[in-house]
Amino acid sequence: MRLFGRKEKQDNPGAEEALGLLLFDNVNEALAAERVLNTAGYAITLVAPPQHLRAGCDLSVSMHRVEHVGAMRTLSEADVAVRMWVDDAEGTMAVSDIVTSVDFGAWLMVRAGNMKIVVEKATGMIVNTSGGGCPDIPYLNLELVGLTLEEAPRPKELGYTLCGLMLDRAYAEACAALGRNAR
Amino acid sequence: MSLLVVATYPVAGGPVLDGPVRVEPDGTVLIGGTRVPNAQGTSAMLGAACRVAAHLGTAAPHALVAGDIGRGEGTREVYRHLAGTVARVRPSVIAFHYMQPIMALMRTATEHLTTAAPDALLVADAGGMYAAKAAGIASRFELMTPDVGEVGFLADPSVSHPAYVSQYLFGTTGFDPVALAHKAYETGGASRVLLIKGARDHIVCEGELIDTVDEPCVPELEAIGGTGDTVTGLACGFLSAGFPTVDAAICACKANREAGRVMGATPAMHARDLVAVLPEVLGEHLCRWSGACAS
Repeated sequence: MRLFGRKEKQDNPGAEEALGLLLFDNVNEALAAERVLNTAGYAITLVAPPQHLRAGCDLSVSMHRVEHVGAMRTLSEADVAVRMWVDDAEGTMAVSDIVTSVDFGAWLMVRAGNMKIVVEKATGMIVNTSGGGCPDIPYLNLELVGLTLEEAPRPKELGYTLCGLMLDRAYAEACAALGRNAR
Repeated sequence: MSLLVVATYPVAGGPVLDGPVRVEPDGTVLIGGTRVPNAQGTSAMLGAACRVAAHLGTAAPHALVAGDIGRGEGTREVYRHLAGTVARVRPSVIAFHYMQPIMALMRTATEHLTTAAPDALLVADAGGMYAAKAAGIASRFELMTPDVGEVGFLADPSVSHPAYVSQYLFGTTGFDPVALAHKAYETGGASRVLLIKGARDHIVCEGELIDTVDEPCVPELEAIGGTGDTVTGLACGFLSAGFPTVDAAICACKANREAGRVMGATPAMHARDLVAVLPEVLGEHLCRWSGACAS
């Protein structure tokens, strides 16, 4: 018997209830947790942990305290490793949601935070990625350039860092701007 | 005078490479004789630094790199090898580039360098810069080369990565890179000299604007992955040749822009196209820009 079944997703994960944090050893575990918990219907937000809990470019998942036991079991079943649960979400910061674009005629460049993607409008082909400073960015550049938006894997599924996550946002915005389907 | 670049290359599980860097006629970058992928990032940075060394007749850059695609293993490997490489190479400039931003490892490394290479000038860009700033040791560095999407990160003491900067971003109302650079210096988030890469490049020393470079204007360069890395590579090349830091930064900005013009940059070109024209650009203009040649 499941103690915590599939939940109806809520729009605002923390307006009235106390929040806590799931911490991870690396960003790709946090991104995997986001996918698993979203699918399971939990109301979550990706945030930076408070300063005293940071080791580098960390990403954590904020959620209602009362739901974390079931969420941790769901993650365990999905083989997503959680470093620890913290019963306090004070001092967290949200990931930037600022997106801008530049029209280069035959190409569209979309910036999300510190990351950029450039797409040939006529074909949807990714011709460049840039920005960032984490080691998955040159790797993503090699993997994505030359593929169309439809062919390319999602940067957040291939990358491991916050830079990869921001590139994914740029990718999604480029898909929306050019009327193409994101994977 | 020599340059040591500490970084990663985008191959999962790629071994540690520790050796001099050279660029083949076709643009391939070799480290200790081993080819590394020709992508944006450290290979673009190294390619530009090699072009400067070849032009000025100085020692080729030395690189300490390992394969890393974002999981941090390669980053940890290069930190493990750093002390040995520094003792052997005795660099005058040490540049930290594409690396996993691991604050504790960066802090330990710079503490070691304080005694092992006390006179070496430290440079940081990309993940090396993120780690140095987040670890609270940015002021130990001589030069950092943020772009306009990163200078707000340096100015905000509370954030550990540019992805969390929602204000002070390029494109937002009131964006002022000079004010942000001043704030970064005042709050310990900046190196002594900042080269802020953008539509107009800003060179800031100890929090005060020294110069700007905005000609030639080649907007397409922003779209090309690695053209910020080539600016950093150029600056490191000049710095290790003995240029004063501000002059190295100004010459780097001018050379990168001129290379963009000469290559006829479009958003679909690559950093290696820029590296390919640097010999021509340096040969034609560097004497005048640097003021180092007799007229």
